[in-house]
Amino acid sequence: MIQLENVSYTYRKGFGLANIDFTIDEGEFVFLIGPTGSGKSTLLNLLYMEIFPESGRVTIGKFDSDSIKKRKIPVLRRTIGIISQNYYLLDDRNLFENVALPLHVIGHSQKDIADIVEEVLEEVGLTGLEDHYPEELSGGEQQRACLARAIIKDPEIILADEPTGNLDPVTSFDLIKLLEEINSEGTTVLMASHNYSLIKSRNHRIVEIHDGRLRSQ
Amino acid sequence: MDKFLFLLGEGLKNLWRHKLTVFTAVFSVFLSLSTIGVLFIAEQNTHKLIEYMRTKYKIEVFFKGTVTNEQAIQYVQKIRMIPGVYTTTLITKEEALKVYKSQFGDDLTEFLDYNPLPVSCVVNVKRKYDGYLIITPIIERIKEIEGVDTVNHQGHLISRIESFYERGLLGLSGIAFAIILVTVMIIANTIKLTIYSNKDLIKALKMLGATNTFIRIPFILEGVLQAILGAILASALLYGAVYGANEILSQLTTFTINVQWMFLGWLFLIAVVISLFGSSRAISKFIK
Repeated sequence: MIQLENVSYTYRKGFGLANIDFTIDEGEFVFLIGPTGSGKSTLLNLLYMEIFPESGRVTIGKFDSDSIKKRKIPVLRRTIGIISQNYYLLDDRNLFENVALPLHVIGHSQKDIADIVEEVLEEVGLTGLEDHYPEELSGGEQQRACLARAIIKDPEIILADEPTGNLDPVTSFDLIKLLEEINSEGTTVLMASHNYSLIKSRNHRIVEIHDGRLRSQ
Repeated sequence: MDKFLFLLGEGLKNLWRHKLTVFTAVFSVFLSLSTIGVLFIAEQNTHKLIEYMRTKYKIEVFFKGTVTNEQAIQYVQKIRMIPGVYTTTLITKEEALKVYKSQFGDDLTEFLDYNPLPVSCVVNVKRKYDGYLIITPIIERIKEIEGVDTVNHQGHLISRIESFYERGLLGLSGIAFAIILVTVMIIANTIKLTIYSNKDLIKALKMLGATNTFIRIPFILEGVLQAILGAILASALLYGAVYGANEILSQLTTFTINVQWMFLGWLFLIAVVISLFGSSRAISKFIK
């Protein structure tokens, strides 16, 4: 499902990733850990092809970084649900509109959208908050809204970049449980975190990177 | 179809979401188009004004004292053939005497036993010229005609008015061009600000798999709607201003401001074209 073959990437400042080589199978739940600045976000950016490796190859399903055409990148991203620490919820849209956005991008009908959004909000426990704007939601609710927006298009993969970074331990734990539920339905999950104590009790594979290099997997 | 309706709706909703930048852009477009409109109306009416002035240009031709009324008729026919001459009015010796009497109250023949006033002719020049009217060649041609004694005219005044008119036309075109350029830059920069303030939206849409076209359309629609709003306001102002000015002018003079209102259609077209150009240019810097 996800394969990185000897991938290297360097920023202008001279820091990035070097010779990253690992595979994630379909339906797997993997934690990507490492301290802040170790290259976790860079790796996730490579996976949804925001950036491209200088050497090596990234493969996501049927797409690979060597041959993908620019116009196919949006198609790839529609198969990936992305959650980030900064939420990227839109302040001028309410919860319903934020969560419905991916379905508009895909081109669903208005009638279908209303039904699907209600279903997904129920799944993440946000029913009744449809008319609320992001500033009216707590941090945990905002992160669940992000999760709802990521899973509403039924993605094959979820990439979560430090999703618990701004949450308290209890809310963080609830979010991981939600991700595990989604994973149990067959969605591949790769979650980046620097909080080892939070993830060590979960029974999932851990890939560790340090200073842009793979330490263990 | 649903996607199209969504994008159209987003363009409309963005007008409300980005109220402040929308207000700035609409106001800029309104100001620019109003100025272009005023220049256009001025250009149209300067033309009318110069034609009105030209009806007042008069050349007075006095024939030699020996020229009889019959000879003068032939000379006047020659004057009428000169390019640029519109009408000629012959004033016979008898008519000249009547005019003198009506103006000064004296009958010259009572003192002198003969009529000393020469036959004369008033020449009006053509009103419609493509550009600058030069009166000197007409004067020269009249002077060359046998029997002509003196030619009185307002040559210096006419050349000043005509040269002012010509420079005015050139200036108006230059100002209109500069305003259009400034409008494009203002719209492009306003949209750039709108786009910059929406970088989170663009980032989110990219992560969700939106194509560049999908991201662009609401911003471009927003720009076009801003331009249309600005054009509506400018049209209303121009219409009201011309109506009001004509009301005042009608009490003072017979001169009225005439406008071919079709030009408002052009104003809308200019607004839409420059907003399309400005918004496309602005967004292409953010979405590559």
